[in-house]
Amino acid sequence: MSKPTDLVQGTLDLLLLKILALQPLHGWAISIRLKSISGDVLQVSEGSLYPALHKLEQEGWITSEWKQTENNRRAKFYSLTRLGRRQLESEAANWQRLSTAISQVVGLAEGQLSES
Amino acid sequence: MRMENLWFTARLRLRSILFGRRVERELAEELQFHLERKIEEGIANRLSPKEARYAAMRAMDGLEQRKEEMRDMRRIHWLTDFLDDARFAIRSLRHTSGLTAFVVITLALGIGMTSGSFSMVDALIFRPYPVPHPSGVVTLASTTHESNLDDFSYREYLDIRGKTKSYDGVIANAGMEAVAFSAEPAATPRIKGGVMVSSNYFHVLGVEPRLGRGFREDEDQVPGRNSVVVLGPDFWKHEFASDPGVLGRTIRLNGTEFTVIGVAPETFPGMQIFEHPDFYMPLAMARVFSTNPQKNFFDDRDDRELNVRARLKPGTTLQQARNELAMLAKNFEREYPKVNRSRGAAVYTQFEARTQEDLNWKFSVIFVILALAVLLVACTNVAGLLLSRARARTREIAVRLAIGAGRFRLIRLLLTESLIVASLGGLAGIAIGYGIVQWFHSKESIVVLTDLPVSLPFQMDTRVLLASLALSALSALLCGLAPALQSTRVDLVNALKSADVEVPGRKRLWGRNVLVVAQVSTSLMLLTASFLMVRGFQHGLLEGTGFAKDHLLMTSFDPRLVQYDAAQTQQFYKLLAERVREAPGVASEALTQNIPLGIEDFDGVAFVPDGFQMPRDRENFNSTMDTVDEGYFETMGIPILRGRGFLTSDTAESPRVAVVNDQFAKHYWSGADAVGKHIRLDSRAGTLVEIVGVAQTIKYQNTFEKPMDFVYMPLAQHPIARMTLMLRSSGDPLQLVQSVKDVIRILDPNLPMLRTMAYEDFYMNRAVKGPRIAMDLVGSMGVVGLLLAIAGLYGLVAYNVSRRTREIGIRIALGAASSDVLRLVMGKGLVLVGMGTVIGLAMGFALEQLMNSMLFNAGGVDIVAYIIIVPSLFLVTMLATYVPARRASRIAPTQALRYE
Repeated sequence: MSKPTDLVQGTLDLLLLKILALQPLHGWAISIRLKSISGDVLQVSEGSLYPALHKLEQEGWITSEWKQTENNRRAKFYSLTRLGRRQLESEAANWQRLSTAISQVVGLAEGQLSES
Repeated sequence: MRMENLWFTARLRLRSILFGRRVERELAEELQFHLERKIEEGIANRLSPKEARYAAMRAMDGLEQRKEEMRDMRRIHWLTDFLDDARFAIRSLRHTSGLTAFVVITLALGIGMTSGSFSMVDALIFRPYPVPHPSGVVTLASTTHESNLDDFSYREYLDIRGKTKSYDGVIANAGMEAVAFSAEPAATPRIKGGVMVSSNYFHVLGVEPRLGRGFREDEDQVPGRNSVVVLGPDFWKHEFASDPGVLGRTIRLNGTEFTVIGVAPETFPGMQIFEHPDFYMPLAMARVFSTNPQKNFFDDRDDRELNVRARLKPGTTLQQARNELAMLAKNFEREYPKVNRSRGAAVYTQFEARTQEDLNWKFSVIFVILALAVLLVACTNVAGLLLSRARARTREIAVRLAIGAGRFRLIRLLLTESLIVASLGGLAGIAIGYGIVQWFHSKESIVVLTDLPVSLPFQMDTRVLLASLALSALSALLCGLAPALQSTRVDLVNALKSADVEVPGRKRLWGRNVLVVAQVSTSLMLLTASFLMVRGFQHGLLEGTGFAKDHLLMTSFDPRLVQYDAAQTQQFYKLLAERVREAPGVASEALTQNIPLGIEDFDGVAFVPDGFQMPRDRENFNSTMDTVDEGYFETMGIPILRGRGFLTSDTAESPRVAVVNDQFAKHYWSGADAVGKHIRLDSRAGTLVEIVGVAQTIKYQNTFEKPMDFVYMPLAQHPIARMTLMLRSSGDPLQLVQSVKDVIRILDPNLPMLRTMAYEDFYMNRAVKGPRIAMDLVGSMGVVGLLLAIAGLYGLVAYNVSRRTREIGIRIALGAASSDVLRLVMGKGLVLVGMGTVIGLAMGFALEQLMNSMLFNAGGVDIVAYIIIVPSLFLVTMLATYVPARRASRIAPTQALRYE
C-alpha cells in the first residue's frame, strides 16, 4: 500500500482542495476522483484520506454537510470555504513555482552546470 | 484573515468539545459509508462478500487507528485526555476517601496559613497606592546614618519642588496627628486624625474629590491665611451622614475655624496603609497643629516633618530622578552645612519605600518564612502519603505500562490526581485563609478604639486569591511529581508478579527517608521560631515594659482649643497639677507630652554630648524625648537609678536640666556616671543642659522594641501645649474622673478633657491586643506545623515499617527474637529523626538569630524551647515506630510470609 508520504509533502492537501473546488463531494467520491484524474499515478491510501479531510476541515478550509446521495444514502459532503479557496490559490501558486523550478533543474543538459 | 480563521476553527473546536459524542458518531458513519462503498465495489469485482469486506478493511489501513488520527486532528485531545484523567482520578480518589480527606485537610491547612499570611504581607508591602497609575508615584526621602527614610523640612520640600525636573508634581504631607475636632462651637471637642498636605496633593495623585474641590495653589502660600479643610470619605459618612450640604460649613480643629471645601472619594482612604485620615489641611495652617514647638515649621531647615512623594514624568527613569535628587542633596549639604551635614537623599519605588519601614517588612518576612514552612510540612506530608499510595498501586501501574501506556502519559495521570487533590485543598485553604482574614477584622474594633482612624487593612483580594491558587498548583506539582516519577519507574516483570513489591536498592528508600528528615527538621524549625516569637511577645507584654500600668487614669488637655497663649498654658498646667494632687483618691500626679506605648510618636531631640568625640562627619546626635513634670517618674513607677528626677525647683529661670535613660547613659558615657555630665542642644554652640538623673530604660514605642536612647525634659523648661495628665489612684482609676472634672470646672469650664480612660485599658487595646494577633497567628502556625508533622511522621514511619512485614516475618522465621526486630525497626526511625533534629536545630538556630536581630532582644538561644520541643518530637517518632514494629514482631511468621 502506498502511503501518503509517497506524495510530496502537502500535495495531498492541494489535490483535495482542487478536487473540492470543482464540486462538493463525499469521501468515497473523492477517492474515486483522485484515482481517475491522476490516472492511478497518485495512489492515496483510503485510510489517510479521511484524516487529511478532517485536518482541512479543522483548518477551516473546507466545510461539511450531511446530504442524500443520488442513491438516496446519507453521506458527508465536503465543499470549499472562502478561506479554502484562498488557501488553494496560494498553494497552487506555490506548487507552480516549485514544479517549474524542479523541472528546470531536471531539464538541465549535461555540462550546462559547469558553464554557468 | 487571521481573525476569521481563528473564529472558524474556534467554533469547530468548541463543537468537538461540546458535542464530542455526536462528532464521534458522524466519524463512524462517514467511515462506514466509505467501507460499504468499497465492499460494494469489491463484490462488483466478483469477490465474495467476506473477501470484499477484508479488502476494504485492509485498504483503510486500520479503522481504529484512523479514527484516533482524526481525533488528534481536532487538537483537543489534551483536553479530552485531561477530562478522562480527571474522571479516573476522582473515581480512584473516592475509593480511598479517608486518605483523600486527610490529604485535602493537610493541604488546606498549609495553603490557608500561607494565604492568610499573604493577605497580611500584601497589605503591608505589595498593595498599590489607591490612586490612578500608582506605579508612577515614588517616595523621596532624606537619608542619614541612622535612617534611610527620614523626612524633609518644609524649606527642603519647597526647594525639591522648585528645582527638580523629573516629576509631574512633588507633594508633601505631615504624619497623621491627633486633632481636637468639633462640628459646632459649643460641642465638646473630640480627638480625630488629620493630615497636613501640600496644596497639589490630590491633584498630583490624580484623586478627584467626591464632593467640592481639592486645595488651590494660593491656599498654601501664606501661613495661617486659608483655613480650609477636605474631609476623608469615612469621616464624612460617619460624622456628617454623607450630607452634601457639608460644603461651606465651618468646623473647629484645635479651636480654629476651618471651612469645608471638599470630600475625598471613597476610593482614596489615604496613602498610608494603616491610616485613614479624617481630614486634610493645607501645610500653611501648620501653626494650628502640633508641629515641633521648638522649631519654626516654615523657616527651620532642620524641622523635618514632611513625607515627600512625587509622580515621575513619563519617560523619566528612576535613575535620572535619583541622580537629580542626589545632586540636590549635595547642594543642600554645601549651602547648609550646619543642618545638612552628611545627609543624602533617595528616591524609592513604593516597594522600596515600604520595605524601608522596618517593622512591617520584618514581620512580613518572618510570617512568610513561617507560613512557607507550614506549607512545606504539609507538602512533605502529602508527598509521603501519595508516595505510599502510589507504591500500593505498583501493580496497577505495571499493568498499564505493560499494555502500552506511555510513561509520560501515566505521570500525567498521577499528576492530574494530585492536581485535583491540591485544588480541593486550595479551595478549602482559601476558605481557611478567608477565616483568618475575618478573624483579623474581628480584632479590628479594638484597634479603632484608640480614637485615631487606624485599621488593619487585611483582605482577601484577587491578588491574594491568585497567589493562593498558584500555590496550590505548585504544591500539586511538588507533592505529586516525585511519587509519580518513582512509581512509573518500575521493573515490570517483578511488579506484575507480586501485588506490592519492594525492589531492592537504596535509591527507593532514599526518597522516603529524605521526607522523614525534611519533615522533622522543618517542623522543628517552625516550632522553635513560633515558640521564640510567642515567648518574645509574652516577655515583652507581661514583664518587660518597665513601668506600672495599673491604677492609672489618663486624660489629655489642649489649651489651644480655648485660645490660651503660651504663658496661660504654662499657668494652667501648674495650677492643674497642684489642684489634682490635693483631690481625694489621688495618690500621685504626672503630666507628660506623650504616654509610653501611645499612638503619637515621641519628639526627637538633636544634641551634642559633653566630652564625647563627635565623628568628623556629624554635627549632632538624635534621640527620642518626652516632656514631663516633676511627678512623672513616681507616678509611672519608673525607677531613677542615679541622681534625681525633676523638682519644682527646676523652673524656666533655673539652669536647664534633663534626665536620660540608662541606655542613653551607657551609650555616651559607658561606665562613667552620666549624672553631672552635660549635653548641648542642636549643636556644639547650643544651649547647655545638665543631666541630673538616670532613669531605668522602659518600653517607649512598642512592647518588643530594643532598648533605645531616651531623654526627659522638664515641662517648666520646655513648654508644650498639649499634655496628658496621668493620675495614680488607690482604687478604681475611673473614679478619679469626677475629681478632675471638679478641678477643671474651677480652672476653666470651657476646657475639654480629651481621651479620658484608664491607662491599663488603653494599654491592653493598643499594646497588647495588636501583638497578640500576631502571637496567636504565629502560635497557631507552630501548632498546625507540629500536628501536621506528627501525623505525617507517624504515617511515613508506620508505612515504612509495615512494608517490611514480610522481611520481619522471614527474620522471625529464621529465629530472630521480637526484641531484635523492635530494635532493628526503631533504630532506623530514630536515626532519621536524629538527623532531622540536627538539621532542624541548625535551621531553627539560624532563624532565631535572624528574628533576634530583627525583633527581639531575647539575647541568644531560647533553651527552654529546645528542651520542650526536641524530646516531644522524639517521643512521637518512637511511638510511630513502636506501634507498627510491635505489631510486626508479634505476627506469626507463617502469616507474615503470606502477607499481601
